[in-house]
Amino acid sequence: MSNEYAILPCNGLDKCAGCISREVALKMMEQTESEILCPVLYRVTDARYNKIAEEKPLLVVDGCKTRCASKIAAEKGLKVAKKITVTEEAKNRNMEIVDGLRIGENELKLTDDIVTELLKEKEKDEMLEGKSIFPETYEYEFYQKDKFIFRLPSTGFYFNENDVWVYIVGNKARVGVTDYVQKSLSDIMFFTPPAVGSEVEQFGELGCIESGKAVFEIISPVSGKVTSINDKLVSFPEWINENPYEKGWIVELELTELEEDQDLLLDYNAYLPIMKRKVDEFHV
Amino acid sequence: MGENTFMGVPRDKIDWSPRIDYNKCDYCMECVDFCPHNVFEVRENEEKKLIVKNPNNCVVFCRACGKTCGPDALSFPNKSETTKAIKVIRKEMKENE
Ligand code: SF4
Ligand code: SF4
Repeated sequence: MSNEYAILPCNGLDKCAGCISREVALKMMEQTESEILCPVLYRVTDARYNKIAEEKPLLVVDGCKTRCASKIAAEKGLKVAKKITVTEEAKNRNMEIVDGLRIGENELKLTDDIVTELLKEKEKDEMLEGKSIFPETYEYEFYQKDKFIFRLPSTGFYFNENDVWVYIVGNKARVGVTDYVQKSLSDIMFFTPPAVGSEVEQFGELGCIESGKAVFEIISPVSGKVTSINDKLVSFPEWINENPYEKGWIVELELTELEEDQDLLLDYNAYLPIMKRKVDEFHV
Repeated sequence: MGENTFMGVPRDKIDWSPRIDYNKCDYCMECVDFCPHNVFEVRENEEKKLIVKNPNNCVVFCRACGKTCGPDALSFPNKSETTKAIKVIRKEMKENE
């Protein structure tokens, strides 16, 4: 993969985090062959940017959780290759961003850090595929409501009430979301994975998925350590819509407290009525 | 509003809902638009224009509206403590059966 992006940043005149997004975009442009899409101009007229957005992988840089840049990408139907949020990056590094609009030394350092990391990630983008101990396909039962059909695998899967499944093989587990999540979010555009190697408790967070209309936090059904993530989903989040149990799986964990956790896991027969109730209450 | 339990525990025994930091909230109402569960209430003419009206409608362990809040004004209880509390209640319920 070549070292360039079409960068869609927050334009950043509302808060300092926005000014930092701008700075990140400028630095990326200077150090790579990337090009910037000005969000304000893009919003008004897209003729100039459509071609760039089509040719290069898109990097979205949101300033804060208002996610203006992401929303513009959604509005324009763009496919996002990589996305960061400045306030989250600051949080991960235990940095405080100043209140005003001017960038200080601290903010410059944050900018440099983010850019260095982006460049590094771009280099080791393609990872080798390992062999999996998990089956490639499963058997499903179906629940139909109007024209929507919800799949639910009947054997070997456990669930929590937050619509996340787990499939266990020995002390390893694969985790993902159910068809209910995928359908209620509709077109999933972003996958923010958890860090490989991080530990999660039962009901802890395993990253997020987002569509144009909502963010869904993936709530872990079990405790464990993240051993791998489905990093294909970063480029192809729509796989979660296609099949959230197979190629749309989210992460793999090494289980740490299965016996303890089992008390709060639901099997197919216990989860099905919960999913049905949610489907029936959901208004599209 | 469906069955009012979470993992078999009556919902009103579980303390889980967003907390609004009024020093940070700018009343953009993104959270209200986002959440479909009628948790928040908008009160145009009051000083606090937004309150958590129905905390028990909030989905246990969900923190999704917090991610839509630009000023980071929403916070939630600690997850592992909440899990512990749920387990304790389940145990008590079993013992009393
Ligand atoms: S999203 Fe945040 S700032 Fe906006 S109204 Fe809700 S709590 Fe307040
Ligand atoms: S945490 Fe989830 S359910 Fe609770 S108020 Fe926020 S969006 Fe609604």
